[in-house]
Order: sequence, then C-alpha cells, then structure tokens
Amino acid sequence: MKHVRGWRDALAVLGFLSPALLLVGAFTLWPAVWAVVQSFTNRALTGIGAQDPSFVGLANYQRLLSDGDFFGSIGRTALFTIASAVIGQTLLGLAVAYLMAERPGWKLRMTPLFAAVFLLPLAVPETVAALAWASMANGTEAGLLNRALDLAGLGPVNWLQDHAMATVIVVNTWRGLSFAMVLFAAAFESVPTSVLEASMVDGATPWQQVRRVTLPMLRRQILIFLLLTVITTVGIFGLVYFLTRGGPGSATQLIGIYIYEVAFRFFEIGYGSAVAVILLIILTAFGLYYVRLMREET
Amino acid sequence: MKSTEGRHPAVTQASPSPATAGTSTDGTQGPPRRRAGAARWGAYAILFAIAAFSIMPFSWVILASLDSDATIFVRLPEEWTVQNFVTVFRSAGGVQLITNSLIYAGGATVVLVIATTLAGYALSRYEFPGRRGFMLGLLMVRVVPPTATIVPLYVIATDLGLLNTYHGLILILASLEVPLGVWIMKGFFDTVPIEIEEAAWMDGATRLQAAFRIVLPLAGPGVGAAALIGFMGAWNQFLVPLVLISDQSRIPISIGLFRAWVAYTNVDWGLLAALSVVYIIPALVFYIVARRVLQQSLAGGLAGT
Repeated sequence: MKHVRGWRDALAVLGFLSPALLLVGAFTLWPAVWAVVQSFTNRALTGIGAQDPSFVGLANYQRLLSDGDFFGSIGRTALFTIASAVIGQTLLGLAVAYLMAERPGWKLRMTPLFAAVFLLPLAVPETVAALAWASMANGTEAGLLNRALDLAGLGPVNWLQDHAMATVIVVNTWRGLSFAMVLFAAAFESVPTSVLEASMVDGATPWQQVRRVTLPMLRRQILIFLLLTVITTVGIFGLVYFLTRGGPGSATQLIGIYIYEVAFRFFEIGYGSAVAVILLIILTAFGLYYVRLMREET
Repeated sequence: MKSTEGRHPAVTQASPSPATAGTSTDGTQGPPRRRAGAARWGAYAILFAIAAFSIMPFSWVILASLDSDATIFVRLPEEWTVQNFVTVFRSAGGVQLITNSLIYAGGATVVLVIATTLAGYALSRYEFPGRRGFMLGLLMVRVVPPTATIVPLYVIATDLGLLNTYHGLILILASLEVPLGVWIMKGFFDTVPIEIEEAAWMDGATRLQAAFRIVLPLAGPGVGAAALIGFMGAWNQFLVPLVLISDQSRIPISIGLFRAWVAYTNVDWGLLAALSVVYIIPALVFYIVARRVLQQSLAGGLAGT
C-alpha cells in the first residue's frame, strides 16, 4: 500500500474516490440532511406550502407527538420486524441451517439443491413475490392457502382482510428465511471439525455442543446478520405496499408506508420529512452498532 | 420415537434412497445409529416442506402465464398457450416496459462499475488519513434505505430536473448500491498482490497503465460481482421509480406491474403473469450464473473481509 505524499497523490486519490463520493453525497447524504431541514418547514406539494414554504420550528415534531397514526406505524413496524426478521428469518434460519450443515456424524445429501430452491423467493423481484402471494393468499375458497385449509376441513380464511399483518409477516419470513439458512449453514460448516470432535470426546451432548461451542463461535456473524436483516426489515416498502397498500384500514401501515402516504398522497412534504427523520434516527442507532461490529475487521 | 424406530427399516425398504445407505443395514447397528437415521428422515421431511413452501407461490405465476383464460387463482390451464408472451413482446406497452427496465438497469450497472472500481482501487492501494473512516462511513450509508430518504430525494430530483428522466433514475439507482459495491471491489483489489503492479512500474508503465492493464483484469470477478449487484438492485427497485417516474412511457416493469395490479378491474391476469415471468428471467439467470460469487461477497459483507 502506498502512503499518500504530496498534492499529486492526494489529487489522484480524490479523483478515484470522487464518482462514488458524488453519488452517495448527492443521493443519500444530501437527502438525509435535507430531510432534517425540511422537517422544520410546512412545505407541501399543493396549496400555499408549495409556493411559499415557511419555517415552522418544531411544529411538525409537536404534531408527531399527538399523531396516533405515527405511533401506530412505529408499533406495527416493531411487531413486523420482531416477528418476521428476528424470529422468522434469524431464529428459524439458524435452526434449519443446523439441519443442513455438515458436521461429524451428520451429513445430508442434496443440500446444494435445497439451497438453490430455498433461494428462489429472494431471487425474484419483490413485486413478483407480492403478486404471487396475492394469488396464494386470496380470500375466496379458490385461493391456494384456503384450498390447503379445506383439505384439513378448515377455512376459508380471508387472509389479506382479516389477518393482513400475520400474512405479511409470513410473506417476509418466506422471502428472507432462505438467505439466513444458506448463510448460516456455511457458517456452521466453518466451525473446525477438530473442535467439534474434541467436544464429543469430552462427552458433550449435541445440544451442549450447539450451545457451548458452535453458537459462541459464530456469535459475531449471527449478530451482524441479525442487525442487517432488522435494518432491511424496518425500512421495507415494496413487498408490503404492493400486497396491501398499508390496509385494510391501516392494519399493515408500516413506517415506510406511512411516510409515503403522508408525503405523496397527502402531499405534506414537511411533515413527511419529520417522520423520515425519526426513521433515520432509528436506523442510525442500529447502523452505529453495525459499524462498531465491523470495525474490528478493517 | 419408539414407533419411528420400529417403522424405520420398513420405510427404508419401501423406498431405497441413496440417502439411507449408511443406515439401512438393519440389525447390525446399535440404537444410536438408528436414532440418527430417524432424525435424518425428519430433517429431510423438514427440508422438503420448506422447499415446497419456497416454490408454491410461484405456481400461479407460471401456470397463469400459460393459460389462455387465466384468473387470479391457481389452476391447470384448460387450454395451454404462449399467446400471453407473444402479446407482451408484440404490444407497444410491453416492449416499452422491458426496454425501460433494461435502460435503467444497464445504465446503473455501468455507472456503478465505474464508480466502485475507481474507489475500490484507491482504497486498496493508497494509505491516507480517513481511509478507514471512509470505509466505515460507507457502511453507515448502507443502512439508510430509500424509504428514509425518498421524500427529500423527490424534492432534490425535482430541483435538479431529474424527474421522469432516464439519466436521473440511473444515477440514483446506481448510488443505492455504491456502499456494498465499493466494499466488494476493495476486497477483490486486496487479493491482487502489489508486487505484480510494481513489476509493471519497473517496466516503465505509469500507475494508471498498470492499474488498467494488469490489476483490473485480475480483479475481474470483483467487477462481475459489482455489476451483478448493480443490475439486480436497479432491475428490482420499486419505491424510487414509483415516486420519481410518473410518465407512462418511462416507467420500468416493476411499476407497470403495479399499475396493472391496482387497476383491478379488467386485469388481464395471463398477461400480468407473463410479464412477471419475463421480469423474473434476467434476475434468475444472473442469480444462477453468479450465485457463488454473490454468496461469497454477501458472506464477505457479513464477515467484513
């Protein structure tokens, strides 16, 4: 590696970095700053706030404090994230990955084939995934899920009307579970065989082996995956919006959907920016922890 | 557990699968081996169930696209047809959607590869104050999704005249993948020994010549990985084009699907499904070709290498 000495080197480095810097600066950093600035205004897309937005101080934030829809969307986002990202994807993913991974005395066949099939839900665009589930979870008797229920003598259930939140949780678990499984399976296999064999010689039961040897060794990797999937899930939009548009009522109105509705359906840019700032703060908190974990690597 | 053990030999005889080769020599083994055999069957049952669950929702997309009288429901077509696909590629609207998506994804890929190759090279080859901070800062940027920035992004795009333009959406779509792309490229450049480059300098090559002729070809897989995430990210994006592109002649496939879906009355389900299949194909091909590379680089993103 070359140490930068003199203005020529400095200029070269700056030149190399500038396209990436410009892109990130113009379309992520600047919008983040701009969100904060606008959250103190009454800017709108129609009416007086469109022609002449003015500074309103903390009015938008005061309004947030008494906005039931806002707190509702935060609560739903928390529920959605814990159920689909933490329990659905990460915990379930760990369990199934443990089945797939090879270790002394345990080897399943066709695991690469399984992995390829498992990854399909993630490989397709979220709009197609949502469309496929719209058919699958159709509330009439002819919907595929209801036909399966019918075989058991149950149903029909109006999934997207009566159990919309549960349905989108299942859909998001379905989409991300595969990725967790495949990554964790690789992680499990990275644990040295000798360590596992040593613990077996010492008389550890399989459960003790997992709890005392395997999981502690993979702690950091699991934590990083958990953080990334939580961050992605908190910021989700397309998959849920395509399926339910936040409804029925506001049953699946997650924070991302709420921001979109406030800004682009009710045209309140200033207020929408204030909600976005709250989301940015939440994500930054997770992000700082993520960066701290990754810091040891660089 | 007991009944499973008792049934196990019969099961293995009924279906002599290679998976059971190690356990089907019944009688000669102690109970622990048999229990492992039963556990293995259980594991296969779980994996098959998840595999079925993974594929099942797509059954409608595939079957409806080949159905001459498709509905929103899964059914075997009474009359199989490829007419839906013909319509997608013959109709002006269908061709326009596909062209637009190709322009956005292709453009974003090119922009991303250029930006991340340059940045990755500098971060791998130069030591300068703030280098590490820059890398970690990119990770911070990575955790900010478009959901959180879309409102100001709309205002900024309006001010810059980027609404409803190809180049505007291309730049924004590329910017979303810059953090991961730079990390990947830097990782690949790190694997190319500096000695190779130094040898080229000895032979009289300038730093840029050496970088382009010697290092870049060796970091080829990295360029491939960056191109892959650039293409996939742009091809799949939904929220950003939903907000920034309203002009019907400029919308990509994702928005075309959404508009057809929310119209709800008179939806041509067969056509919608066929368009979905067309939309899936590039993503799927890319995924199959590069699953290894992608898995490694994403795993690398996890481990931070």
